[in-house]
Amino acid sequence: MRQTISSAADVKKMIEAGRKLLLAGDEEVLRQLPKGDWIAGTIPYFISGDQGGMVSRELICTTDITDLVTSIEIIAYDQNSLARVYTEGPKNGFSFIVIPAMSKTHLSFALNAPNYKDFGIRPLIGWIAGVHLSDLGKKTPKVLDGITGDVLEEGALVLQAQLPEGKVAEIGIVNLFEQGDGDILTFTADDFAAKDVMVNGEKRNFAAYIVKNKLDTKLPLVADYYGALVNISFQDVDEVEGLVKFYAPVFSGIRYKHAKPVIDYVKEFNDRLSKECSIESARVAFSCNCILNYLYSELEGKKTDPFTGPVTFGEIAYQLLNQTLVYLEIMDV
Amino acid sequence: MDVPSKSNKAWQDIVTGKKTFQLKFLAAKILLGRLTRTVKEDPSPSTISSSVDQLYAIFSNNLNMPSVQDDLKTIFS
Repeated sequence: MRQTISSAADVKKMIEAGRKLLLAGDEEVLRQLPKGDWIAGTIPYFISGDQGGMVSRELICTTDITDLVTSIEIIAYDQNSLARVYTEGPKNGFSFIVIPAMSKTHLSFALNAPNYKDFGIRPLIGWIAGVHLSDLGKKTPKVLDGITGDVLEEGALVLQAQLPEGKVAEIGIVNLFEQGDGDILTFTADDFAAKDVMVNGEKRNFAAYIVKNKLDTKLPLVADYYGALVNISFQDVDEVEGLVKFYAPVFSGIRYKHAKPVIDYVKEFNDRLSKECSIESARVAFSCNCILNYLYSELEGKKTDPFTGPVTFGEIAYQLLNQTLVYLEIMDV
Repeated sequence: MDVPSKSNKAWQDIVTGKKTFQLKFLAAKILLGRLTRTVKEDPSPSTISSSVDQLYAIFSNNLNMPSVQDDLKTIFS
């Protein structure tokens, strides 16, 4: 694992030494950094190797990819040009993307990425930038381009990393949530909000359904994509308006179920990793986890070895995910 | 293992849901979650052909990934 929690002074030294870095931190501390080969998103929450979950406005989560890659290029996209993100990815390497939360590009990517041309032909991993929760509504999430010095609150930055011959990038996810035994829920439109839901084929008001059935909205909706479990997290249930809002869009035709409870996130996380036994920490180049897992599972001060990294407003493993840990492995082939 | 040609019937069997496999390659699983639904709603030859093209493309462009190699063995062995 090459992810560390570092002071601004140490990161500055790394940049000046020509290191190639993926950074996460509070906006003020990131703005102090010199130009160089780095890309960053704003967020002050991290999982560190020694302290576990933590929040800091002074420290920076640093992923050093210098020794893994042969070259990098940073591309700025807008909500329309981002449709080329898979097509333009490096032939032998990976694309690392950061998008500000609640920007038009975030919403557009969430809705449209699965239908972008060449979906999945190149590895795409990344995250959605955020802010300290006490700054919600006061500050906007941003992404920073270390090469140009640009600070963007609209658009997306993508670092295209070329790998040397004999190396390959693979993206994985760890999702502790599974579909529960309840009703099958489907929706008639792709959207971040829904008034109506089809419950086992019968049309109902979704907000009223949630209230009547006392669904715990800390638990996401879970869809099964050919064995890959993909969550949709609840943002708000407005019983008066009869409207349910989500942190990622539901897609029409997909069969969702409310998740089974996860009682002890860290215990179940460790159980899952010990069962799967295929993740070697030395191969993990980057990982991030969702702020909803951080909050609901009370991860502050708790470790999720071998995964560290930023705690984010959304995770990207080819497409937008919620309440999921995503990771990038670089391995020999 | 190389990627079998698009004319191999196994590709069609996957996107139509005639055969299912437990795959490892994350992008293929996400893509298949959408393709199998699309083909179920519209099982026309053009939809099946387009779906096979997309699935073939992500396997052939990621052939050096260990998960892709494992999945090809699972599907075609």
